[in-house]
Amino acid sequence: MKQTFLPLLLLALMLAWASSPALTHAEDWPDPFAMEFEPVEVTPVEPVSVTLDNGMTLFLLEDRSLPLIEGTAYIRAGANHEPEERIGLAQLTALLSRDGGAGDRSPEEVDRQLEYLAASVEMSASEPFATAGFSSLEHNVDEVLEVLADILRRPAFDARRMEIARGRLLESIRRRNDQPLQLAVREFIARVSEGHPSGRYSSIETMSAIEAADIREFHERFYRPNNIVMALSGDFNAEEMADRIEEYFGCWEARPWDAPELPPFDEFPEPVVYHVQRDLAQSIIFVGHPAVTFDDPDYIRLDVLNRILGGAGDNRLFEEVRTRRGYAYAVGSQVTQGFEYPGIFFAYSVSRVDKTAEVLELMRREIKQIVQEPVSEAELDRNRRAIVNRAAFRYASAKAVADRSALVNFLGVDPDYYARHMEIIEGLTIDELLDTAKKHLRPEDAVILVVGNEELFDRDLTEFGPVEAVELD
Amino acid sequence: MKRLMTCWLLVVLLLTVPIPALGHELLDRIESFTLDNGLRVLMLPEDFAPVVHFHLMFDVGGIDEEPGLGGIAHMVEHMAFKGTETIGTRDFETEEALLQELEIAADQYFAALEEDDEGAIAEAEQRFMSLREELQELATPDVLHQLFDQFGGVGMNAYTGYDRTAYFVSLPSGRQELWLRVYADILDNAVFRYFYEEVDVVKEERRQRNEDEPTGYLREHFLREAFEVHPYGRPLIGSMEEISNYRYGPAREFWDQHYQPNRAVLIMIGDIDPEADRALVEKYFGVLESEPRHERPIPAEPPQQEQRRVTVEYEAEPEIMVGFHKPTYPHRDAYVLDVIRSLLGTGRTSRLHARMVIEEEKALAISVSSSFPGLRDPNLLVFHGRSRHPHKPEDLKQLLFEEIAKLQQEPVDPWELEKVVNQAQASFIRNLASPSGLAGQLATYELFLDGYENILDYPDIIASITPEEIQEAANAYLTKENSVVGILYTQGDHGGAEQ
Repeated sequence: MKQTFLPLLLLALMLAWASSPALTHAEDWPDPFAMEFEPVEVTPVEPVSVTLDNGMTLFLLEDRSLPLIEGTAYIRAGANHEPEERIGLAQLTALLSRDGGAGDRSPEEVDRQLEYLAASVEMSASEPFATAGFSSLEHNVDEVLEVLADILRRPAFDARRMEIARGRLLESIRRRNDQPLQLAVREFIARVSEGHPSGRYSSIETMSAIEAADIREFHERFYRPNNIVMALSGDFNAEEMADRIEEYFGCWEARPWDAPELPPFDEFPEPVVYHVQRDLAQSIIFVGHPAVTFDDPDYIRLDVLNRILGGAGDNRLFEEVRTRRGYAYAVGSQVTQGFEYPGIFFAYSVSRVDKTAEVLELMRREIKQIVQEPVSEAELDRNRRAIVNRAAFRYASAKAVADRSALVNFLGVDPDYYARHMEIIEGLTIDELLDTAKKHLRPEDAVILVVGNEELFDRDLTEFGPVEAVELD
Repeated sequence: MKRLMTCWLLVVLLLTVPIPALGHELLDRIESFTLDNGLRVLMLPEDFAPVVHFHLMFDVGGIDEEPGLGGIAHMVEHMAFKGTETIGTRDFETEEALLQELEIAADQYFAALEEDDEGAIAEAEQRFMSLREELQELATPDVLHQLFDQFGGVGMNAYTGYDRTAYFVSLPSGRQELWLRVYADILDNAVFRYFYEEVDVVKEERRQRNEDEPTGYLREHFLREAFEVHPYGRPLIGSMEEISNYRYGPAREFWDQHYQPNRAVLIMIGDIDPEADRALVEKYFGVLESEPRHERPIPAEPPQQEQRRVTVEYEAEPEIMVGFHKPTYPHRDAYVLDVIRSLLGTGRTSRLHARMVIEEEKALAISVSSSFPGLRDPNLLVFHGRSRHPHKPEDLKQLLFEEIAKLQQEPVDPWELEKVVNQAQASFIRNLASPSGLAGQLATYELFLDGYENILDYPDIIASITPEEIQEAANAYLTKENSVVGILYTQGDHGGAEQ
């Protein structure tokens, strides 16, 4: 059977090749790599900035194209400021502000009102800050803003809703090892940021320890108008909208901001190989270490290096691990922006378990190479052009522009940051990139985290450094 | 009936949103034309920023695959990123000859594998691998990403569904010719470089999405149980066995048969010049020829007679899916079931969230989706829930059927219906704010729902649905006999709780 089948296949194949057209239209078409285009003219749009008497800062951008109004409030009420034994407090406060009733409205009334108006208000908290986002049709934005103001200013923290919110967060903790990628990210960040609030995660114990009084106190301390920068965009007149916000938030009293000191960040965590034993079809690998803060000019250079290594559409890690070897579907690298403390550089791969060591070796090899040898002029040129050309998208959405302006102000970023960023990009040389790589990338002293079944690994992880087994709770 | 009239007045009073005006203004601005080869083109000029979104959608997807070739639509979607005869090669003539040799080596390698002859495998593998290495030397890896990235492309990607396949990217304006030249070339002359390397990539994608991800794992088993005959029951990405056996010939044949201009719609939204850009579309896409449409009958799923159940064990906390077979658009019941989906599962005030998450505190989260896993053929309304310890997935199933019984027995509250109508109208407006979302919707209406203009009808149809229709549809479709239950239990802990 096989003997007769093979020639048939060959014949079919030859026919398939023979039927492809000998001449193609594309032979007369321009080489796309050589195509030249006029630089895109970008007309910057800047939101109107207004600071209310109580210190609440607004960034308002009109966009009359659709009858929609959207906004995001950034609030200095993030998880970095919660006590060690109450980790989860910032998150629970944000969720319960939204879900626990507001002003004179019961929790049900808030939900019914917003959903009937096809509007939304959602809150969440990350390490550096909490956010409250809303979206409303233009014609009922007053009702929505009134609810939003009550949610932020006068949350009722309904006791039953508190237990529901806590119960759901506890269930999420129970489930947080179910998805291997989520588990790997968490354990990696915890190891790279060890000893710093940004590397902490809530547990059943810390979440259970939170009391109603903790939430009220946290809200009282951090949810203040002078702690809020709000972006608004959409179908309004900026001046009128500022007046409306004044109407809903103006009588909210400011309070001096006692910014808690964050403990120092250890920029040199132990270069240990952490292994989480899981019986999975793949292994997940993270390699990295703390890098720099956003205002270090080297951040911009590192960002370009990262594009070349593992961040752009085509990059070295993607090419070596995925395209050439077929070892992974997801592979790449990132360098995060650090604001009050350094960001993190890391390479990652979700890849073949029986090639775990080989992939890890490849990842380290690529990082080492970018530290030891200059990138090519072609790589630098492509990535520089990519960054310059992408400027066309900076103003593609009014919501994105307003949010960005608000966040830049909120984080204390110099408004000229982007212009300086582009200046550095324009003048960037391969020698500067090499110096930056040598200064900030440490392939030999990186934290490594591997999630996967060691029985199936190709080689022992000890060749990459001292291995420590991570026990999950 | 009188109550209905009152609620209508309320809706009209409350929603002064000019949906009809917005919709007609949208349609007025769209320039549409069809090339001689059947390619449909929609152009929507928008002046919000100097950028253009491109969206090329084909009415081809997983359900068009022959049995045994599961996932090949997804595989060829990956191959369409590997370049053409003029893009991504250092020397196409040499490359072409080597690609033919590679197929002969691949035949020998696969034959040796089948015979399980170690010596022959080693020999064939060596030849197979060395040819692949030689070919890699001739190719530019990730060439399309490299090309579009440097010209400022953002969000370049593609997806393959059971029904459709789409390629999309946004570019700074003025680069329309770049996109048109490259994608016309891909349709005409795609070269499937790195084919066997990409087979390995797709295996890893399958492991990541369907094996190491609990919901993906449950979904695959659930669909297999729900559809015995129709290809919605097959994993979209293919089984590991199917992927391992992919060969160039059948993949190429699938591509050539289906990805033709007459099966596609091209959407361009943004800073375009309709007249000049139309000339460019005609220059590049106009010269392509279309093959006659390759018709392959897709077997219809016979009516289900009794409840089907599937359980899996996994190293994760439990979750449950419950599906109900239902018709698809333009059957009016499909719209009625969209309303039911919203009543049951959209938002905090929806019946299932209010009951399971808030009142009884038995669920972490719930969702309800309709048109799952596709919309070309009759499909499912699906409930998905994650229980809260110590409650069980079966507790959620019981509450679901109790809530369905209420829908069957009592007319829906006018307030709830108004809420759903308001939300449908608001979604219509929100969709207009996202070029990629709008492009996907316009393309879907054009390919499957009898023309992009019909996008305007959806909010009106939803607004026309009556409480009686909802009750009737709940009685007709949301029955135990018509349901499929899939449960993922924590490994070693399913405790025989299923009743």
